[in-house]
Amino acid sequence: MSRQMTNALCYCCPAEGTIESPGALLYNTSVENTDWSDVTASVKGDNEAYGRLVQRYEKPITGLLWRFTRDPAQCEELVQQVFVDAYFSLKTYRGDAPLLHWLRKIATRTGYRFWRDRAKEAQETPLPEFDMLEEIEAVEEDRIDPAEAAAVLQALLSRLPPDDRLVLTLMYFEECGTQEIAERVGWTRAKVKTQALRARRKMKEIAEREHLLERLGWTL
Amino acid sequence: MDALEGLARLARKAREEPTPVFGISDAVRLRILAESPQPVTLIPFGLFGGLSALAASVTLALAVQFWSYMSSPVMELVAPLPEIRLW
Repeated sequence: MSRQMTNALCYCCPAEGTIESPGALLYNTSVENTDWSDVTASVKGDNEAYGRLVQRYEKPITGLLWRFTRDPAQCEELVQQVFVDAYFSLKTYRGDAPLLHWLRKIATRTGYRFWRDRAKEAQETPLPEFDMLEEIEAVEEDRIDPAEAAAVLQALLSRLPPDDRLVLTLMYFEECGTQEIAERVGWTRAKVKTQALRARRKMKEIAEREHLLERLGWTL
Repeated sequence: MDALEGLARLARKAREEPTPVFGISDAVRLRILAESPQPVTLIPFGLFGGLSALAASVTLALAVQFWSYMSSPVMELVAPLPEIRLW
């Protein structure tokens, strides 16, 4: 599976149509002109143009990678890595989808690699965030702090293997459907569906074992 | 409420979380500069090649010159070296 994933992750390999190819120019209509002009300028070596792209898309990419790690230093490192990788692969961007979609693909795969590398270290993920549930007095959904809710959910997700965690992270936090997950990760839609089914089953077991609903006061 | 419903509810709330802003534009630019492949300059290779060619030409010129002094190069090659008194 990992080999299949590695091949699918190869966004750095030159694509058939480069930015100068006539076919690529046809795709141009679907991309915002500002993005496209900044992309072409960046490919020609204009660092200022690439700086503008980074500033434009830093926030959504940070938002996505924040779901992969809640450590600000690690998150910043990952965001930087995404934009560095994107810069060196910019010639392969054909403009057949908005630039943000392309960047999100790179970010998702960067985050997945980060998890996989950490999984190799075989460290048991502690759940200090989960203990904070004890301190949550509110029983109403609206009164729970979003940051606490995110921390708890991510702590629970971190107990899953990287593949399961990736699918559920994209489903829960990014509201992605199976088709979008398949496109981002490079899997088939059937594989995503199977993975999601399995992951949800495991997640349910974990939530029940941790008495999530009782702790949140959502049993009624 | 089902555990999965609870998780979905938690996720709905989690999506409202504001994310940090780092301002990474300059750091990215520095990393790109550091990771860019340096252009290979051909000047050292050209200089080395030129010097080698010059040395080879001088050696060839000297060799031809000494060759012409020999009456029979083949015989001198196989003939035993004359003993030379060093002192």
